[in-house]
Amino acid sequence: MNILEMKHIKKSFSDKAVLQDIDLCVSTGEVVSILGPSGSGKSTLLRCATFLERADSGEISYLGENVVRNDSSGNALYPKRKDLQKAQSNFGLVFQDFNLFPHYTVMKNITHAPIAIQKRAKEEVFQEARQLLAKVGLTDKEDAYPCELSGGQQQRVAIARALALQPKILYFDEPTSALDPEITAEILRVLKQLAAEKMTMVIVTHEIDFARMVSDRVVFMDNGYVVEDGEPEDVIDNPKNERTKAFLKKLHV
Amino acid sequence: MRTLTKHTKGALLCVLLCAIGGVLFTGMSPQAKEQTQFIVGFDAEFPPYGYMDESGEYVGFDLSLAEEVCRRNDWTLVKRPIAWDSKDSELKSGSISCLWNGFTMNGREKDYTWSTPYVDNSQVVVIRKDSGIKKLSDLKNKILVVQSDSSALSALTGEDATEDNKKLADSLKELQQVGDYNSALMNLESGMVDAVAMDYGVAAYQLEGKEDTFILLDERLSTEKYGIGFKLGNTKLRDQVQTSLLEMLYDGTFERIAKEWKLDSSTCLSFDDKTYADGKPVPAIDTDSLSKATEKQDASSDAVKVKKKAQKMSIREITRQLSSGMLATLAIFFLTLLFSMPLGLLLTAIRMSRFKPLQWIAKIYISIMRGTPLMLQLLVVFFAPYYVLDVKTPYSYRFMAVIIGFSLNYAAYFAEIYRSGFQGIPIGQREAAAIMGYSRLQTFFHILFPQMVQRVMPPVTNEIITLVKDTSLAFALSYAEMFTMAKQIAAAQTSLTALFVAGVFYYLFNFIVAYGMEMIEKRLDYYR
Ligand SMILES: Nc1ncnc2c1ncn2[C@@H]1O[C@H](COP(=O)(O)OP(=O)(O)OP(=O)(O)O)[C@@H](O)[C@H]1O
Ligand SMILES: [Mg+2]
Repeated sequence: MNILEMKHIKKSFSDKAVLQDIDLCVSTGEVVSILGPSGSGKSTLLRCATFLERADSGEISYLGENVVRNDSSGNALYPKRKDLQKAQSNFGLVFQDFNLFPHYTVMKNITHAPIAIQKRAKEEVFQEARQLLAKVGLTDKEDAYPCELSGGQQQRVAIARALALQPKILYFDEPTSALDPEITAEILRVLKQLAAEKMTMVIVTHEIDFARMVSDRVVFMDNGYVVEDGEPEDVIDNPKNERTKAFLKKLHV
Repeated sequence: MRTLTKHTKGALLCVLLCAIGGVLFTGMSPQAKEQTQFIVGFDAEFPPYGYMDESGEYVGFDLSLAEEVCRRNDWTLVKRPIAWDSKDSELKSGSISCLWNGFTMNGREKDYTWSTPYVDNSQVVVIRKDSGIKKLSDLKNKILVVQSDSSALSALTGEDATEDNKKLADSLKELQQVGDYNSALMNLESGMVDAVAMDYGVAAYQLEGKEDTFILLDERLSTEKYGIGFKLGNTKLRDQVQTSLLEMLYDGTFERIAKEWKLDSSTCLSFDDKTYADGKPVPAIDTDSLSKATEKQDASSDAVKVKKKAQKMSIREITRQLSSGMLATLAIFFLTLLFSMPLGLLLTAIRMSRFKPLQWIAKIYISIMRGTPLMLQLLVVFFAPYYVLDVKTPYSYRFMAVIIGFSLNYAAYFAEIYRSGFQGIPIGQREAAAIMGYSRLQTFFHILFPQMVQRVMPPVTNEIITLVKDTSLAFALSYAEMFTMAKQIAAAQTSLTALFVAGVFYYLFNFIVAYGMEMIEKRLDYYR
């Protein structure tokens, strides 16, 4: 089953068309990487998928359930806040700059929303949070504040925080580009493990190796269009589209 | 950081609303027992007519007369010190019954319903003994000081000023205006100015014990008369007071009181005044029940104990007296914080709401509160119930008006501080919370508010320290906080000591506040 289905998504900022006509489907357990030059609309696509930004037209469904659809005049029609929030509980988003809550400890960052928002049992949430911290390799940082952690550590906390809400799909917007290259490996290890556990993920990244190693599928975007979509080997190693070729060439692949 | 629980927040808001409601309600409700009160308005910095003595009591010639009048009419005397600038509003709004405070009739005949004159008071000029000034014309190219809005000022430059006086005023190097005689005389003593013009009675009081330093010019600027001013048209009360005064004159009480205050040479209350300034006849008194003052009584009245100038107070005594004012200052300070800080938050919420009209209301409110003087706002809050709603307010409203005025003003400042605090929080915090399922309210209380609090600590500390000093503005409503009292003591003592003591108080208070805020700031500084 498709967890995410986006159809004919269009989005402009003032007069600038950023997403021109995007289709994106992600099925259960799939790991999709999105590549593309700067300004091609990758972040905007993720922001539309997570409702941080509203598409001008198009359809968005989660788990087969339609959330956003077009009205008769072809404009995207969004449901009420409540329904939007319900759809939101399906996914998590890991930001480029982490966006941890600076006034909460690592533990509270992870447990606050499950306890206060999802109203789950404290004991269960704490236990699960400890497991998540072990998974991302931060068992000893429970009581640290984000400002006491390195960037790589903060990003791993952010991943644990997103996982604690038990999303069906996890989005990453350039999870490593704010980090030193050597720290990228830490994140990659975590993502690989998640992939092995069949976590559904969509990862926007600039790192080709990263995309090749974790993803089942690579989507290449340019100028608001999806220009290539297929197995990593096909898209990265044998691109058919001229733009993809040019882009990959620039990155010396 | 521990945030308040939902329930405490709700409870706090309720308490706040109830308190404001309560303040407004009790503030407006009429009080029946006011009727038998005779409320004398005076400025408490005008010895010997009305001032604060060394024990903190309001005393003076006028207050002694008023006491006797009340005794004879079976009224309760209420001595109400007022800010002199607000005297007309106080009288019109009925918060005082009359102005009885060495109040000059000349030039104001049509503004009040007057008693007949009871003191003949000339405007005299005080100079340093060694100044070499001998007559008024020697003041050419000199600096002369008068109290603002005083009789001396109008004698020199007012509409009724004589040609000679106008010429004199023109020939001066400068005609300075000061708030009180005390600082005028300090200026004179230090040589910063050359002469001070003031009422004769005031000069006699101020110069007592300083005869080696100051003398009076023999020439006088003008002669003028003091009367008791009532609200225009309030002839009934005026006649009652006039009758009592004449009875006191008849039986010698008036003369005795004048002697007590060493003003017997300048009184002019007389049975010869058969009509008032407004042309109405003065009621005749029933002399049958009174015993006429005899020569014998007159002689024995030499034994009258003459009231001395307020005794010099030690710093300890001044401190002890000021401490009651200090309590008032603390009350203003804490109540203002208690109300203005949450009110500011509400204002920020409105200011940052998505509903444009609401946004504008908050914007305009904040701009008005920040763009006009706090003192003016206090006056508006205090007098609005009378002028706008035609409601008479009890004396206790004065304190409420101070708190309401301060809270409304400081809420505007806090609102802007909070807003900048919120705006400094990266948008990513909101987005992360939204994706994690926090509602807008939950995002506000759990994520944004605690971060805002930490961010605004430095500007809030500044604002709180400003508030400590601003509490002195309560004098505009004649609320007896510390600075008002310090000024009154300074006037009675003719010395600045009380003001210095007040300064030390403010400094210590601020020192403690700053220290406390630093502690809080440190505690909140566990993250960046
Ligand atoms: N809020 C906004 N208002 C106006 N223009 C925007 C906004 N957000 C994005 N854009 C524009 O939309 C275009 C696509 O932006 P987007 O961030 O989606 O690109 P990207 O593919 O994520 O690029 P990068 O690789 O640099 O992150 C850019 O030209 C950008 O300037
Ligand atoms: Mg981007």
